[in-house]
Amino acid sequence: MPDINTPISPAISEVPDVNELVLKQINSQIANQLNTGVLVVDADFNIVIWNRFLQVHTDKIPGNIIGQSIFCAFPELPQRWLSRKLSSVLQLNTPSFCSWQQRHHLFELPHTRPITTDSEFMAQNCTFLPIETDDNSKYICILIEDVTDACHYQMQLQKTLAEIAQISRIDGLTQIYNRRHWQDSLEQEYAKARRHDKKLSLIMLDLDHFKLLNDNYGHQGGDMVLIEVSALISALLRVEDTFGRYGGEEFAIILPETDSAGAIELAQRICRIIAITPFTYNDQVINVTVSLGVAQLSSREANYEELITQTDSALYQAKSQGRNQVCNATELL
Amino acid sequence: MNEFHLTEDQQDCLQELINIAMGQASDQLARYLDTFVYLKVPSIESVAAKDLMKTLSQQKNTMAVVSQGFFGYEGIRGEALLVYQEEGSARIADLLGYEPDELSQDEQLIDISSILTTTFLNVFAQQINNQLSYNAPKLLPNIQEILSEHLQQMPFTWDLALKVNINYQVTDYSFNCNMILLIPETAITNIKHVLDRILEEF
Amino acid sequence: MSPSVLICDDSNMARKQVLRSLPEEWKDSVQIACNGAEALTILRDNSIEILFLDLTMPGIDGIGVLQGIQKLNLNCSVFVISADIQPEMQSKVKALGAKEFMRKPVQADVLLNNLRQHGLL
Repeated sequence: MPDINTPISPAISEVPDVNELVLKQINSQIANQLNTGVLVVDADFNIVIWNRFLQVHTDKIPGNIIGQSIFCAFPELPQRWLSRKLSSVLQLNTPSFCSWQQRHHLFELPHTRPITTDSEFMAQNCTFLPIETDDNSKYICILIEDVTDACHYQMQLQKTLAEIAQISRIDGLTQIYNRRHWQDSLEQEYAKARRHDKKLSLIMLDLDHFKLLNDNYGHQGGDMVLIEVSALISALLRVEDTFGRYGGEEFAIILPETDSAGAIELAQRICRIIAITPFTYNDQVINVTVSLGVAQLSSREANYEELITQTDSALYQAKSQGRNQVCNATELL
Repeated sequence: MNEFHLTEDQQDCLQELINIAMGQASDQLARYLDTFVYLKVPSIESVAAKDLMKTLSQQKNTMAVVSQGFFGYEGIRGEALLVYQEEGSARIADLLGYEPDELSQDEQLIDISSILTTTFLNVFAQQINNQLSYNAPKLLPNIQEILSEHLQQMPFTWDLALKVNINYQVTDYSFNCNMILLIPETAITNIKHVLDRILEEF
Repeated sequence: MSPSVLICDDSNMARKQVLRSLPEEWKDSVQIACNGAEALTILRDNSIEILFLDLTMPGIDGIGVLQGIQKLNLNCSVFVISADIQPEMQSKVKALGAKEFMRKPVQADVLLNNLRQHGLL
């Protein structure tokens, strides 16, 4: 069998004491004990060598494989794509690579891991190496590494990271966005509105007499109200709106491409629906009202924080005018 | 003075070796792609390690970075970064002779990068009587923090980068990329020895 | 009597490589140009018999020099020595009057053989 990994360094060129036959046997045994698939094809893509790793991971009979076209022996291979890739190795005399991250596997080899994976096949990193022998014949050595473990753990990691990212955006109690993510979103929406000269409005709302509610029904009653109010408001919003819990009993809504008239209309609807919805806790009916402040982005605000301040003043006004109502920031000017 | 501390002769020698490598790589590429590859003299410049992130972030619309390690005899090793600036990789599949649905955009970039890097470095290595092996190319996420983290987490500390500005133009289709070779200090010393050896022959 | 020779290349090393390949007795009558513009000036003012010409140079490149030689109607044997070795480039310079195309790095035996073939040695 031709050498697979003979170093070409001038420093290690000859080992005169070991005869060639012994060297061949050593090379062949190494190839057969490798935990990596080794497959060599000639310039016509016919199989010249395949090592034990491949023999035991497929149910093909060795004698039938040698001399066969790689595409007949492994009909699962994408023929057009792989032919072009193999041609590049021969013509350019350069190695080529195929990672599981781009293609999970090339060869359909069942994996032997005691783990549940998304695919029944072994995930693979494949390397295609050009080989030229002394008689100027060209071959391609294909190394097939089993990376099922790496693939599996990478997938798990990505899933976990996505979950963590999601959790870090969500308020644990109400399951709507937390203040930090809401503020990040506002920063982006503010930049977008300024860049494209688009409308942008905010609503901030606060549950009326929430402390009293907590005193009367306990914190669990208060928590229940926060959860139900969040769900109720969420149902009234468009997908592009961003709804977050701003503080204890304070909420905020970003309304992209919305003017103050649209924002006031929505705020009034929220105000009305919450006022007429009875919340029940431990068989007791709790009546809840909210106060809301509305502001639309104008040329005056130098940053998104100023828009929050405007909306917050409107909310304060709604509170001081007797609660359970909507106040618009522009009317304060 | 440049950060390489190469003498004028060494610099001239290196530029000439790179020109020849680029010429032969383009020829191979032209034969493989069955088209004419228009060759501009690749300009080379050195970038100090501390300035590389700045250099990279100055390039507007950096679209993708593909990284591939190389190593050869006499301690010559490093990492090649191919930096693409513009959108338009949609036609790379076409150029490589693939059907667009045969491979993803990521795979196209990785494939073309590997071909450009290995053809060029193979010829370069040949001229200095060396031979290189390569790691599998990796597409780096196009996020500044991750990129700078990657540059800091190299398996070696590199002191300066050799930036080779390459402009490939393939008949009716052109694309630009920068090849940046990150080379550790020991490898630079070795490259200087090799350059001196070549210069001594004159 | 050695012929008048001009070597035009922007690389010092490449120029030395050509110079080293030439017959010993020629070396005194060799002139040097570092770019296309310099080469054209020397070609115009001197009668140069043999020009070794690089293609990729800043400013006026090798192609520009070949076109200049045609325009000036000079009788000079041009040997192109280039890193850009694509077949299209080789036929292009031949069409512009170059005698031979040699790939970089130039080998002494190849260079001398080419000179012999054109009866210049």
